[in-house]
Amino acid sequence: MSSPAGTPQRSWRPSTAVRRAIAGERIDLATLLERRVIFVAGKGGTGRSTVTAALALLGARAGKRVLAIDVDAKGDLAAALGSPPAGFAPRVVQHHLSVLELRTDESFQEYLNIYFKVPRVTRLTPLARVFDFIATGVPGPRDMLVVGKIAYEERRKEPESTSPVWDLILVDCAAGGQAESHLAAAKAMLTLVRGGIIRSQVEWIDGLIRDPRRTTVVLCALPEEMPVTEAIELHERLRNGSGVAVDVCVLNRAVDEPVTAAHRRLIMALIDPEHADVVAQHLGGSPAPLEAAIDLQAHLYDTTGRYMRQLRSRLPMPVIPVPYIVDRTGLTTTRAVADVLNTRLA
Amino acid sequence: MSVVATGDLPERRRSVRKEAAGLGRRLAPLDVVICCGSGGVGKTTVSAALGMAIAAAEDKRVLVLTVDPARRLATALGIKGIGAEPVRIPKARLRRAGITITGDLEAAMLDMKQAWDRMIERYSPDRATTQRILRNPLYQRITDSFVGSHEYAAIEALYELHDAGEYDCIVVDTPPSRNALDFLEAPSRLTDYVGSRLLSLLSGGASRFGFRAMNYAAAPFLRLADRLLGAEVLAEVADFVQQLQLLYDGIQGRAQSVYRLLRSPQTGFVVVTTLEQGPFSEAEYFCAKLREFKMPLRAMVVNRVLPDVFRDTDGVAAATTLVEDPKVAAWLTEELHTRVSADGARFIGRTFLNRNVLAQREARQLSKLSRLGEVPIVRMPLFSEEVSELEGLVRIAKAL
Repeated sequence: MSSPAGTPQRSWRPSTAVRRAIAGERIDLATLLERRVIFVAGKGGTGRSTVTAALALLGARAGKRVLAIDVDAKGDLAAALGSPPAGFAPRVVQHHLSVLELRTDESFQEYLNIYFKVPRVTRLTPLARVFDFIATGVPGPRDMLVVGKIAYEERRKEPESTSPVWDLILVDCAAGGQAESHLAAAKAMLTLVRGGIIRSQVEWIDGLIRDPRRTTVVLCALPEEMPVTEAIELHERLRNGSGVAVDVCVLNRAVDEPVTAAHRRLIMALIDPEHADVVAQHLGGSPAPLEAAIDLQAHLYDTTGRYMRQLRSRLPMPVIPVPYIVDRTGLTTTRAVADVLNTRLA
Repeated sequence: MSVVATGDLPERRRSVRKEAAGLGRRLAPLDVVICCGSGGVGKTTVSAALGMAIAAAEDKRVLVLTVDPARRLATALGIKGIGAEPVRIPKARLRRAGITITGDLEAAMLDMKQAWDRMIERYSPDRATTQRILRNPLYQRITDSFVGSHEYAAIEALYELHDAGEYDCIVVDTPPSRNALDFLEAPSRLTDYVGSRLLSLLSGGASRFGFRAMNYAAAPFLRLADRLLGAEVLAEVADFVQQLQLLYDGIQGRAQSVYRLLRSPQTGFVVVTTLEQGPFSEAEYFCAKLREFKMPLRAMVVNRVLPDVFRDTDGVAAATTLVEDPKVAAWLTEELHTRVSADGARFIGRTFLNRNVLAQREARQLSKLSRLGEVPIVRMPLFSEEVSELEGLVRIAKAL
């Protein structure tokens, strides 16, 4: 029985910047965006879609032709790019930037269509259902459909040309554990499929996923216990399991403005009973409730700091805090996050 | 001195009590309490606290069955670790932490693999079938990745524990699913899966359904599948499916008993959620489904709610002035006899207004809860559940 170890090893010489990024030393935005495929992974609610969309904007801004893929789409990625729900065909949302939403049943039809020239017709349905049953039970195929589609897009060339359609593909993975099964799918599939046409495809896809020069992962977390633990564990499993490179961890909703002694003095003075009436009158209302917000801010700043330290000590990669952008939605939030990433990954 | 910690919010605690006085007492008569909700909303913590509240309310033997790999929960419960064997939480330790339980409190963690293996053993017609299934390379993969496999294992374990009758009340912390509904659908999904005609078709016809004619028609499909996957995989799948079908009657019978238990008046569901869009919509959908399936929803626990103080209109007015009035810093400097910078004034105002935006958003979500009808709702303030010690858990148990 052959194993993943039997897959051909490509020799390659990454640039110094990429090599340092792989070693987890530091990474700048340009190096990150040099990759062909970036998977953005993290627990639900950690701002994955926004980070994917922000990196897509930055890629497009750098003149790359970018495809952003939403896996098991609920339309969040399209919304973060200011677009209505996309669909299986790439939809252009702005110059150099398209978005695509994957759904596994459609993926299957397209997969057969792409690789085996099986027409996309209803006649296929019984087979699709048989396959769906195997796919439900066996982890490989369903994830392979997702990864296969991504790999197909990576390899797609402009008509009558050798230049690829996309310079950069960003993948908004579905919730935590799924990212891992997508990334490990090819490897798992290789242990399962010893023959058949699929094997050669799978070997190629596995090669792409595990090549740190071409593929990397960006982790997302929040300054809360579960998301932080999950990010750390996901990194461990990725490193030990699928052997995929992880470049950066983004800590969303970071509270990075401390409450200083001067702020404290000011809030105490504002709520001092001695001036309470005159202050309330001038400000148009009593400032007493403001103290709660300052206490919360101080608490969240401490929490953020604690989780930043935990992530930095456990993850051999840069951890980038991104503040909570509360008063905006959709594309404006994404632009703000893109600006933060642009500055902090410089 | 954080204002948001439970202990420092007397008015909030009073309102919590008013809304759902004594959730522990209310749930104590039940045999089974099932905590559901999206991953990351604090389900495990709430389950443990509920178990504690129930054991405090009545002299009952309570088991908290968790699926969390539970190091943190174990620490929070003041014990070394939680395994498949139930561990008793020492009463003295609980008393020191501020809660007196009249009953007994134990905790156990679900062992997925064991639950599945036992299920196969139970439903197999003979030892040979058991061995053949347990040895099949697909079996491990399926128990790991079959949609709802964790849920199914949890339900099986719950059913067995309930059947054994050792505990008066079992509190179940459901697995963190992509979809909370997976828990309810797991038994029927497994039955469908095992009994599926398509699987018989795959297994080559020697099945309970006698599909020889279909098999002939399926030949081209099987040939294509063979080309795609390779012959060995298909043979393994076929063998596995064939064996699995021998278990059909047992699994189907169990699914029916399980649904009877889930619908029993002695069972109660507690839905846990936060006010974030994703978990909240999921919780609403789940509540609707419970009603549809005629399964009893007993309470909703809304976790990590921002205190009302952030929606105070005086606060909004004062904060807005601090942010927008260019002369406010100078005025304050003169009036308060202390140097106030424009930046400092803006920071104070902005900090409040940011929380206000979030609190408004939460209030809108909370108002939607009325759609659920007559369900007691417990609001847990932000951060009260950031617990790593028994004292924190006790605080939540008391608030519940």
